[in-house]
Amino acid sequence: MTAPATHSAAPAARRLSLPAFIDGTLLTLVAAAIILWFVPSGMGRYGTYVLSLWLVMSVAVMGLNLTLGYAGLKSLAQAAFMGIGAYATALLTSKLGLNWYASFAISGLLTFSVGLVLGFPALRVKAHYLAFVTLAFSTLIWLVLRNEQWLTGGVFGLSNIPRPSFFGLKLDGALAFHRFVVVVTFLLAVVLWWMIRSPWGRAFTALRENPIRAASLGIDTRMYTLLAFAIGSAYAGFAGALYAPLVEFIDPSPFSLSQSFFLLLMVVAGGAGYLLGPFIGALLGVVLPEWLRFAGSLYLIIFAGIVMLLLIACPQGMSGLLERGWNRLTGKTGGSR
Amino acid sequence: MKKHWIIAAAFGMAVSLPALAQDKVKLVDVVELSGAGATAGTNWKNGIDLAVADINAKGGILGKQIEIVHYDTQTNPGNTRAAVQRAIDEGTYAVLGPVFSGPIGASMQIAQRAEIAQLVGGEAAGLTKQGNQYLFRTSLSQTAAMPKIAKYLKDTVKAGSVAVVWVNNDFGKGGRDAIIPELEKAGIKLAVDVATEQGQADFAADAIKVKNSNADAIFVYLNEEESARFLRAAKQQGITKPMVGETTLLGAKVIELAGDAANGVKGHVGLSIDAPIPAFQEFGKKFQAKYNYVSDHNGMKGYMAVYMVKWATEKQKKFDKKGVADTLRGATIKTSDEPGILIETTIEKNGDLDRESFLAEVKDGKQVITATLPKINP
Repeated sequence: MTAPATHSAAPAARRLSLPAFIDGTLLTLVAAAIILWFVPSGMGRYGTYVLSLWLVMSVAVMGLNLTLGYAGLKSLAQAAFMGIGAYATALLTSKLGLNWYASFAISGLLTFSVGLVLGFPALRVKAHYLAFVTLAFSTLIWLVLRNEQWLTGGVFGLSNIPRPSFFGLKLDGALAFHRFVVVVTFLLAVVLWWMIRSPWGRAFTALRENPIRAASLGIDTRMYTLLAFAIGSAYAGFAGALYAPLVEFIDPSPFSLSQSFFLLLMVVAGGAGYLLGPFIGALLGVVLPEWLRFAGSLYLIIFAGIVMLLLIACPQGMSGLLERGWNRLTGKTGGSR
Repeated sequence: MKKHWIIAAAFGMAVSLPALAQDKVKLVDVVELSGAGATAGTNWKNGIDLAVADINAKGGILGKQIEIVHYDTQTNPGNTRAAVQRAIDEGTYAVLGPVFSGPIGASMQIAQRAEIAQLVGGEAAGLTKQGNQYLFRTSLSQTAAMPKIAKYLKDTVKAGSVAVVWVNNDFGKGGRDAIIPELEKAGIKLAVDVATEQGQADFAADAIKVKNSNADAIFVYLNEEESARFLRAAKQQGITKPMVGETTLLGAKVIELAGDAANGVKGHVGLSIDAPIPAFQEFGKKFQAKYNYVSDHNGMKGYMAVYMVKWATEKQKKFDKKGVADTLRGATIKTSDEPGILIETTIEKNGDLDRESFLAEVKDGKQVITATLPKINP
């Protein structure tokens, strides 16, 4: 079994005489949040928007990373869950006038509950068969979003989705909303960081590595399978709740099956099972194509080429590559996730 | 030492770039070059490139050459928004595109906030009903086209009942929602309402449904490739009732793909290189010579979009972004003033268009225009 996620960084933290619970991952998250708070000041609205979109997609990828990277459950429904969260938030805020925070919580609860239900097939089928079950679910949600026009606006989508405010402070501007996204993403990442370090995280990893041995050690594999699905789905719901006010318009296309494949690619390219992997994966998926725009019509070909080369060079994704480099520098043999 | 020279040269170039840029006017086209809208988007892009090349060859706009940049939206609303935002941040003079209505809906507020004209290819009726003063169509909206079709079905085809076959995306659903009330108004019964999927390969079941409805005519509102597949399936099922459509059903691509099955198809056409207008045919020849295929209506729309910007700039005699929208709103562009507009076009206050359109029929594998319909408000 792989060593638990967090312990290897602890001795270094002690050397710096920091509290034992602080590790490199947490410090990275804090530093990144501070940088991301200030970085867009010199950028235009476009750069700020792309950064926000990157963070929002990172939240969805974080959830899938928990389901796939930590618990080893292959799901193709992450974009569908993101859609449920986005539509729930859009409808609650724009049609019912509920505030964003309540809508955010409801979106998370709703996707958690649906994820819990979808987790049941995962108790009976594994690997490709589970992927097919989630594929069917994804198609079903997409059909509902597209055909139930009375509720979802159908193919015309929902427009004029309001952005939240913070204690009376309006967050309509690109920079203000970006900072809001930074804070929410940071909080969600810290919760996940805590969860991975906790016995839950170790149980999820045990589930991925060897479910039979995990069961023999007294881990309730049934409960943890369901929880991995439900929590992963809730993160997609949270991402959707941020996506709707960011774009201020939603239609079914960003929540289709192909987007679920794209999120899966982000998990794999970023490094499945690494806490910072989703951020790197979403950077590759959202920001890299934007950086490659200078290449004109060739940009998607170059993007596909880079991803293929990356996965050939390092099947563990970018995080695996970075870890290997770090280990070589420090002379370590093991890996920390 | 060598390094210093390189740095100095690079600095010198950087300083001189803005001076060069002053001789150009930048236009950014935000369009579907990949994803579901790639066919329409590529036609639109090629039309724009053709117009830019023509205008630049003749000295540009008010003496400035046009610098055109294309950004792919991947037919995704979030990416479209990013691309439109980038276009505005980079100082585009006007935003051209996108073509699909969903991505237009996601990005139109950005151009509106920046008070920059956005010239789009979308036909969905709802786009111009939101009070956006900076959004302009380059084609007739479905609300303008459908009454003409209902009238045609009633007066010429003399249909008492019609089967409606549509593609379930923003384009098809918009058309379906616009035609049904018009059929009702004309006293025509809806025999059957058939929704189909974008990218659908097999239309046999849909053709059987239509056949069993025993409708007097069939109104087909699908994308190009799907139109061709439906026509082939209908022929296989032995459907002989009149097939009536709008622009796409009679397009060059459909005729090419459907072969014999396209013969006899009739309908309303907003823009067609086969229309009896020399400027249209001239455009068609130039497009074919440059890209080696026949332009559809999206190619013409892209071409006209650039000329709408040119006309508005020359009319105001200066480069004023907000002024482009103000000048276009409520204007009538005559071909005598701007030949590149190809046909006299009136831009209504809400960004909709009014211009002549055509009735057409496919005969022996070719689109033949049978009548020219006048403007709604001549």
